[in-house]
Amino acid sequence: MRKLILIFLLVAAISTIANAETKLKMELWNRWTYAMEDGDVTENEMALKRGYLRLEPVFSGNIKGRFNLDFFSDDGALDGVGMKLKYAYLDFSNFVPIKDSKLTVGLMKTYFGTIYDWSYQTIAKDPADKYKFVSSTDYGLGVSGYLPNGYGTYAVAAYNGEGYKKTGGDLNLDMNYLANLRVYVMPGVTFGGSYMKKTKNTDDLIEKEVFLDNEGTAIDTVIFNDREEYSLMSGMAKLAFGPLKITGQYLLKDISYLQENENDGNYFDEDGDSYKEEDCTQTVVSIMPQFKLNNKIDFIARYDMNDPNTDVDDDGDSTILLGMNYHILRDSKNKPKLFVQANYEMTTPEADDEDEESALMVQLRWIFSEKINAK
Amino acid sequence: MKLRIIAILTIIALLVTPMFARGDRLTIAGSTTVLPIAQAAAEAYMNSHPEMNISVRGGGSSVGIASVMAGNVDIGDASRKAKTKEIATARENGIDLYCNIVANDGIAIVVNPSNPVKNLTIDQLQSIYTGNVQNWKELGGPNKPIVLVSRDVSSGTFEVFNKLVLQGSTQDAGALMLASNNAVATTISNTPGAIGYVGLGYLSDNIKAVTVNNVKATKQTIQDKSYPISRTLHMYTNGAPKGNAKKFIDYILSPEGQKIVEEQGFVSVR
Repeated sequence: MRKLILIFLLVAAISTIANAETKLKMELWNRWTYAMEDGDVTENEMALKRGYLRLEPVFSGNIKGRFNLDFFSDDGALDGVGMKLKYAYLDFSNFVPIKDSKLTVGLMKTYFGTIYDWSYQTIAKDPADKYKFVSSTDYGLGVSGYLPNGYGTYAVAAYNGEGYKKTGGDLNLDMNYLANLRVYVMPGVTFGGSYMKKTKNTDDLIEKEVFLDNEGTAIDTVIFNDREEYSLMSGMAKLAFGPLKITGQYLLKDISYLQENENDGNYFDEDGDSYKEEDCTQTVVSIMPQFKLNNKIDFIARYDMNDPNTDVDDDGDSTILLGMNYHILRDSKNKPKLFVQANYEMTTPEADDEDEESALMVQLRWIFSEKINAK
Repeated sequence: MKLRIIAILTIIALLVTPMFARGDRLTIAGSTTVLPIAQAAAEAYMNSHPEMNISVRGGGSSVGIASVMAGNVDIGDASRKAKTKEIATARENGIDLYCNIVANDGIAIVVNPSNPVKNLTIDQLQSIYTGNVQNWKELGGPNKPIVLVSRDVSSGTFEVFNKLVLQGSTQDAGALMLASNNAVATTISNTPGAIGYVGLGYLSDNIKAVTVNNVKATKQTIQDKSYPISRTLHMYTNGAPKGNAKKFIDYILSPEGQKIVEEQGFVSVR
């Protein structure tokens, strides 16, 4: 049923844009994965890991949209195919009286860290995506653009905060807010930072607690309204000189658990202690060097270090990835059209009693695009 | 073992050599408007520098700029200025898009020679290209439907026309979108009710240029900017031009090179 609705939406979108100039794009990732854990094979499969159909209608010089329907092999689905709506937004250029800016409304990019321009140079996801800092897209509204003379980019946005998977009943009651700035100090030297304030304040976080005396008689009833506050930060630097590029990123997630006693409106008890569990901080460091040997071959390495809770020892892991991209075809603007990616990835847990995991992945990616009703 | 090492070193050498072995080669790609200047200048330059091998191709301004950003060419031709987005993307990837202005140009509004209309205003052109005016009789011409001819969206000529004439309005969906100045000129010459636009270098006896706001596109009106649809033509390089690219651009900017610019129907920058 869900798929039928999505297909209906797609057909409706095509019908709507039939008279508008529209870019049609499709990309498919056919992947072979051979994964091992402590020497045992855990995965040996070929699958369509991701494919998408994208429509980008141009309604006028100032208004254009993007509609993206992702599909992928999915064992859980009856017919083996999963689907999700990934983008559905409109860009209004020159709506905000700032040069080279645009207003975006809908299911749009999350302008955090490097997730919004991640082009999957490695098969692995962007660090903020992989370590669950933010979802790559979310329902929201934002203004983004370029600094004068192309010296950088900026974005400010407000989101639901639930990613592309949730709307309606499961929706967070609070909006999330984001600011992002990236500065190109000189050609090849980039510094950037993002901050996102995120809260979770949903109906299912409301708890009712009944206090009993020694004889089991209720003496007080307190409703606790739980809140989770997240501060997400990203600092990135990128160096690009000739064939060599190095991208480094530091991610930090502070989570504060608050529990409001609705009787007195306080978040803390008489002793000043929080009603709720302890706060925690997650950090991730990611470094990714790339070397473009020629127009056909890129070599890539990546090192990630993830610490899910800085107050807990030996709960993190580190991942090393080595990869190569072989470009078979490019388009007239030198963008990849058909290429093979080969990655070897090894994850080592900090805890001695946990097993090392490794995976070899080879992926064929092919992309085609065409303009309909081009003006 | 020795054989294996030799084989590996040979493969590495074969892969790496093309990155450095450029010699006296120069590659140029991009705008079809700038193409005749680049081709004629390359031919003349190679005649006086037989050791040089210059490859020139079109593709459009977007392709020219993208090719410089990708490091695939030494010079990217563009009949428009690089967009902020292109400049920013280039900077992020270690490329400094450097603009070398090599010529001036006017975009001539052209009709079939049988069409009696002699002048159009920018407002009238906007009405024509947005589909609000669809017959020549509304403009003092014959009772004949207007056939809109335009350029493809990747063309710098389209970008400049879009900016200076359409000014943010949407072009009528029925316009023929053609891939080159030559294609536009040929279509106009064969279609009595057609209107189109081409770079000055593509004017010929087979098509008729109308005045815009009563100003004729001439060397003087383009240089003093009184012709309303004028622009500069560019050759982009990664940073200030060096080596062969510098020698070639210096040649185009020399009196001899600017003479070639004029011979191709464009307006010199001096």
